[in-house]
Amino acid sequence: MPTTDAISRNLMLDSLREYAKRNIPYDFVREMDAKNEFPAALLKDMYDPEVLGINLLLIPKEYGGLGGSTVDIYRVCEALARIDLGVATSVFATFLGSDPLRVGGTEEQKRHWFKRMAEERLLVAYGATEADAGSDLVSLRTRAEQVVKDGELVGYRITGNKQWISNGGVADLYTVLALAPGGPSWFLVERTAEGFEANKHEDKHGIRLSNTAGLAYDDVFVPRNQLIGEVEGQGLLQAQAVFGYTRLMVAAFGLGGGWEALELAVKYSQQRIQAGGPLSQKQGYTHKLLVPHAIRLEAARSYIEEVAARLDGEEHGLQTEGAIAKYYATEEGNKTAEDAIQALGGYGYTRDFPVEKIKRDVKITCIYEGTNEIMEMTIYRGRWQEHLKTRGEYYPKLAAELDELHKTNPDVGADSAALGLRALAKVLEECRVQRLTRHQYVTFKLGELIANAEVAAAFCRTAAAKQIPDSFRLDRDCYKAMARVNARETAFDVAGKGVKLVLGNGNGDAAAFSAAVELVRIEDKMRGLVDDMDIVSRKMNETFRAK
Amino acid sequence: MKIAVCIKQVPDSTQVKVDPKTGTLIRAGVPSILNPYDHFALEAALALKEKNGGEVIVVSMGPSQAKSVIRLAQALGADTGILLCDRVFAGSDTWATAYALSRALRKIGKLDLIICGQMAIDGDTAQTGPAVAQMLHLPQITFCEKIDVRNRTLRAKKHIDDGFEVLEATLPVLCTMTMPHDYKPKYPSFPAVARSEAKPFELWTAQDVGAEEQYCGLNGSPTRVDRVYAPPQRKPGAVINGSAAELADRLVEILKKECFVK
Repeated sequence: MPTTDAISRNLMLDSLREYAKRNIPYDFVREMDAKNEFPAALLKDMYDPEVLGINLLLIPKEYGGLGGSTVDIYRVCEALARIDLGVATSVFATFLGSDPLRVGGTEEQKRHWFKRMAEERLLVAYGATEADAGSDLVSLRTRAEQVVKDGELVGYRITGNKQWISNGGVADLYTVLALAPGGPSWFLVERTAEGFEANKHEDKHGIRLSNTAGLAYDDVFVPRNQLIGEVEGQGLLQAQAVFGYTRLMVAAFGLGGGWEALELAVKYSQQRIQAGGPLSQKQGYTHKLLVPHAIRLEAARSYIEEVAARLDGEEHGLQTEGAIAKYYATEEGNKTAEDAIQALGGYGYTRDFPVEKIKRDVKITCIYEGTNEIMEMTIYRGRWQEHLKTRGEYYPKLAAELDELHKTNPDVGADSAALGLRALAKVLEECRVQRLTRHQYVTFKLGELIANAEVAAAFCRTAAAKQIPDSFRLDRDCYKAMARVNARETAFDVAGKGVKLVLGNGNGDAAAFSAAVELVRIEDKMRGLVDDMDIVSRKMNETFRAK
Repeated sequence: MKIAVCIKQVPDSTQVKVDPKTGTLIRAGVPSILNPYDHFALEAALALKEKNGGEVIVVSMGPSQAKSVIRLAQALGADTGILLCDRVFAGSDTWATAYALSRALRKIGKLDLIICGQMAIDGDTAQTGPAVAQMLHLPQITFCEKIDVRNRTLRAKKHIDDGFEVLEATLPVLCTMTMPHDYKPKYPSFPAVARSEAKPFELWTAQDVGAEEQYCGLNGSPTRVDRVYAPPQRKPGAVINGSAAELADRLVEILKKECFVK
């Protein structure tokens, strides 16, 4: 349940930004990045309840925390990503590490461990990944053998290795997934446990302020009451239960990293004078490198906000939605940062300007918490089932809702988004008829098209809502223009790529299938597209001013 | 000791620009903040509370969004928040604002000390605090950098043009606070923000404070704004170097060239 009101959320975000301004300047971040060093003191400071107490947000109120809502945590993740994605990852790992406890812990375990996390400012790590068990956790090799004394189960002995663990070398407490006789199970293991050793800190491409290390468990004894839930075999279910939620947080990282890079690029473009004028006035530059990203990042936000509100409304799971949010926002965050380097030209390629670091950092969001290819597969699987279950009516129904929306709000692009969804339904159906989903490539591509079409629909709904997101800094007219551009581009993309996918993998008549996905009607919606992009460009330049 | 602090939500003026063509303020994307002088005033009040005990009440006038600066004040330690919020107050100048605030402060009653920021950064008038004191028939000390209270006597270090004055006044009194150039406002921790949610907050209308409509808002405001504009940018000055004789020669040359002397 949401527990923090909007005023509190914004005050906390203000405090976090002010803290960062004073304590985490770019020079500091740059130095730590160069040294590949984890800022341990900084994290402890941020966890200090007298200073920030950021870790308390995820701890439920009844156990001494603040019980932040999903919306609160997504906004904090976005703000953290704008400061430094390595620091953000370290905080997130603490959040993630406590998730199995939150989902599956007994009342007594929660009371004990959450209290300790709050009071001792514990840094936590989430130990799931192994050399042969990444997205495929079923291949888990770390074992937990029962220790029986006088005929009674007293604990477990854990043996095995973990890798790519965020906070791995620096955490106080580890949540470790191991194979018990009853199946995969989560254990709480303290750093001081005998037989435990953390490996070296990895020399990574980005998020170098986040400590990443392997973990080695050699016959480590863990008392029975440190098996989360005190029932074996619940581990995978407990891990799955929070994916909708945790992937939303990584989506927020993509959003934050992307916007930080984009804002820097917009400001730079106002100062860089070439051929008689600033780059910010040159359409060939703005409409390629800046405007499309602002639009897609805000599209991602609209989707994240919808999912966050649903999770706070006590809807559980939402794994497909979490995957869509993560996939869309992190792909876009990564591309935005890439183009921000391009937008800054030679300067962007140097370490004197933060966009180079943001680009290295944000790449991880496409990889961790399930790679984006796994996301494509997850999205496809979830929605393919819906397509079959509803006999192809899943997306036409959504499209009809958007057509209704268009009647009352004709300026948010809902008509285009509806066309995109209908085209998607045709593509899915054609794939079913021609049995094209036997090609893995098709299924992953369908995942991409589904994500794009659903996000465009969410953007239209949000643009038509009474209130646009309070974190959006441009105005409502601009927001609507963004939704219109996104809906048109997406419809064109879904229909065009859909035709390519079907004809490229199967049979059929190009003209007939193009007609089926209503390609010409979609093309007809393109009128005014560039005018809308002009609105976005102008507004961004007005709002994000270079000093 | 019962202390009231008058606070205002303002656009962060460091980020506001004036459109040179229309003369209007470009507010797009500019965040609203607690006026920094009021922030400093609040911190002074909280320091007094910590030392002498008592309570701190924050009072603001503004639209409902201004609740957020009250909550910030409460997160920083203020006990009670009151927001004067009524359509009738819209368009108030400093006089009408002081009138409404003084009505609210009178309603709170039995105040030992009222602290205001020297001025708000969106108007720079520095009139509201003194006007409130006048309307409440209270002694006032303006431009204070430091205040302390002992045995119901307030001792203030007051800024004057060429230095400081140290003044004393018997409570109740109103003072306005200036702030050091390097002042960095405190910000609350996450738990402090969360705690502020449970603190008492009241919305008061003009009727609640017995404010007469004729003295409120645009109607009650004697000030009329003719226009707002950005002053034209001055041409950069020149720095000249050299010996005294060279400097004198160069200066005369410039003065002649610019037609100041013949």
